[in-house]
Amino acid sequence: MVEIDGEGRTTREINSAVQEAVSHGADDIRVRNTGGRHNLGVAILRPVRLTLDGSVGYYCAGLSDGPSVEVSGSAGWGLAESMMNGMITVRGHAGNGAGAAMRGGIIVVHGDAAARAGVSMKGGTILIGGNCGYMAGFMAQKGVLVVCGDTGEAFADSMYEAACFVGGKIGELGNDAVIEKPSPDDLELLESLLSKHFGRKLKNLKARLRAFQKVVAGRKLWNFDKREWKTWKEAL
Amino acid sequence: MKLPTMQDVPDHPQHLQTSGIFTPEVIEDIQVKAELGRYRIRGFGTLRERRWATFDDLTFIPCTLTRIPLEGYRERCSTKTTLGTRFAKKPVELDIPVMITGMSWGALSYHAKVALAKGAAMVGSSNTTGDGGMLMAERESSRTLVYEVLPSRYGIDVHHLKMADAIELTIGQGAKPGTGGLLLGSKVSDTIARQRDLPIGVDQRSPARHPDFLGPDDMIIKIEELREATEWKVPLFVKMGATRVFDDVKLAAKAGADVIVVDGMEGGTGASVDICQEHTGIPTLAAMCEARAALEDVKLYGEVQLIIAGGIRNGVDAAKAMALGADAVYIGTAALISLNCNKPLHVEDYRKLGTEPYHCHHCHTGRCPVGITTQDPELMKRLDIEEGAHRVANLLKAMTSEIQVLARACGKANVHDLEPEDLRALTLEASMVCGIPLAGTNRVFGGGPGWSERHAPPGER
Repeated sequence: MVEIDGEGRTTREINSAVQEAVSHGADDIRVRNTGGRHNLGVAILRPVRLTLDGSVGYYCAGLSDGPSVEVSGSAGWGLAESMMNGMITVRGHAGNGAGAAMRGGIIVVHGDAAARAGVSMKGGTILIGGNCGYMAGFMAQKGVLVVCGDTGEAFADSMYEAACFVGGKIGELGNDAVIEKPSPDDLELLESLLSKHFGRKLKNLKARLRAFQKVVAGRKLWNFDKREWKTWKEAL
Repeated sequence: MKLPTMQDVPDHPQHLQTSGIFTPEVIEDIQVKAELGRYRIRGFGTLRERRWATFDDLTFIPCTLTRIPLEGYRERCSTKTTLGTRFAKKPVELDIPVMITGMSWGALSYHAKVALAKGAAMVGSSNTTGDGGMLMAERESSRTLVYEVLPSRYGIDVHHLKMADAIELTIGQGAKPGTGGLLLGSKVSDTIARQRDLPIGVDQRSPARHPDFLGPDDMIIKIEELREATEWKVPLFVKMGATRVFDDVKLAAKAGADVIVVDGMEGGTGASVDICQEHTGIPTLAAMCEARAALEDVKLYGEVQLIIAGGIRNGVDAAKAMALGADAVYIGTAALISLNCNKPLHVEDYRKLGTEPYHCHHCHTGRCPVGITTQDPELMKRLDIEEGAHRVANLLKAMTSEIQVLARACGKANVHDLEPEDLRALTLEASMVCGIPLAGTNRVFGGGPGWSERHAPPGER
């Protein structure tokens, strides 16, 4: 275990120390006193374990490929944005645009996520234990977004091939978002995700699973069509 | 007596009368929209007759008796161009100040992307990726490759980011500031769909906003992230469509850009809403002047480099932009024209699109008769990569030699020494926009923000 104290160090110094440890083959790194700094753990390209003790600012673990990052506090905007692969766990809450444009891997937020979680996501999985803000799943292209609690407005707006699952109330569906019955495969996926990541906290898993709704794209915005004017006038 | 009837009144005018409001073009536009039920989409950029001040409204005043010219065809005139000296450990070093702008693999064919990369590499210049990520063959063919980070983040890949020689954070584009790109279904082939993680054949509308930041303060953090990811090695460009340039350039400089790219309204596009190309943004000349004034205002002129783009056609436009303060220019449409865009080849295919060579702006259809803006394998074959690359290289060489001829005539041994004092305005409007004296006077009429104080002749400030 390599320990790095963030106290009195700049982002550049902390990240350099982390990258140096990674390049020397360390597989377990801990940063104490994160102090809410932005851009911690950016662009880690190896499957190392990184623990960030405290809260972090914007773009934590952004542009990463492979690491397993755990944030003991909360995270700011753009958590793990554009991640290729890896697992990012946030014990607290996540700010706007968690998992923006991510292409693979998994993000687990134990608390709530703010607006636009999974915006433009291109793959991977986002699992939110609590509620999410408005426009979660906006323009999501591929991947899976799971919200165990309630969603805000304009949920799953203008999506392509991503799938969203909501355990609580949907605040309002976005443009071209439609509710579908989850398939047996979907339920199996949800069960494995929930029991793996929230297993100890969840009671009555089977009963909770039955409450989940699936939201996908109605595909009415995929191609220009004047006959769908009612839908398009919002989206054009 | 029989009174004359309407039929008896002669009504055979010698000249057809056309409405100045409802011109044939306007009538056609209304009738097309009455069929479409939405805005019109096309490629290429503005088609309007330019009635605003342009580079053509400036002229160089080379050496006569007060200054001594260099031998035009012999004496050395450096064209070396360095970008990213502010924070990057490894600034971009180019042999010439003419670069190839970002055009996406998707809007452009594989052949066109690789030909541009090879052509730029042959003359020591750079090319840029575009909306849709990096094409490996493009990386392998480039000498200097700028990796664009766009709002859509299609194909974003940290490994590609780390292979780049510079990063360009794109906020907007001159042809259509404030809107995202368009790629109609005919061009979203299986390869392009896979690259962008989109369903095959969708009419894809790229986002206009970045998914993870909104304003200039958040952008400071975004820039830091990109620098952290690349260990502060490569330069960070910020590219913007020209709108409130004086303010936007200062904000980009404050956010930590090494290089600022300002793309004027004459910039091109593969597909965009027609009215955005015609009615949004400010002209490249005006944008150029505001950008320089902005950097001077925050005392970063020279420290933050400036690239100007948008309708640059030749070495003259480039030289004038450089005299006004640009460190380099981007070309896009001109580079495609060197690849045979609008050349009278396969004329029957232009006609199938309802157009003719020299008039084609049908990039959006994906049926480019010369294989540039298409994903159709048969059409793509019409563009030979090696021949195309040589033509791109030749155009870049020709433009560079044009810049050198003008620089030497103005007595400059380095093209970057061209300055506003080497220019005179030919129209009152150009004088007002540029803060350069109208030819025949020593007066500056108007001048942009902060501009005339610095550049008007003594006594005229």
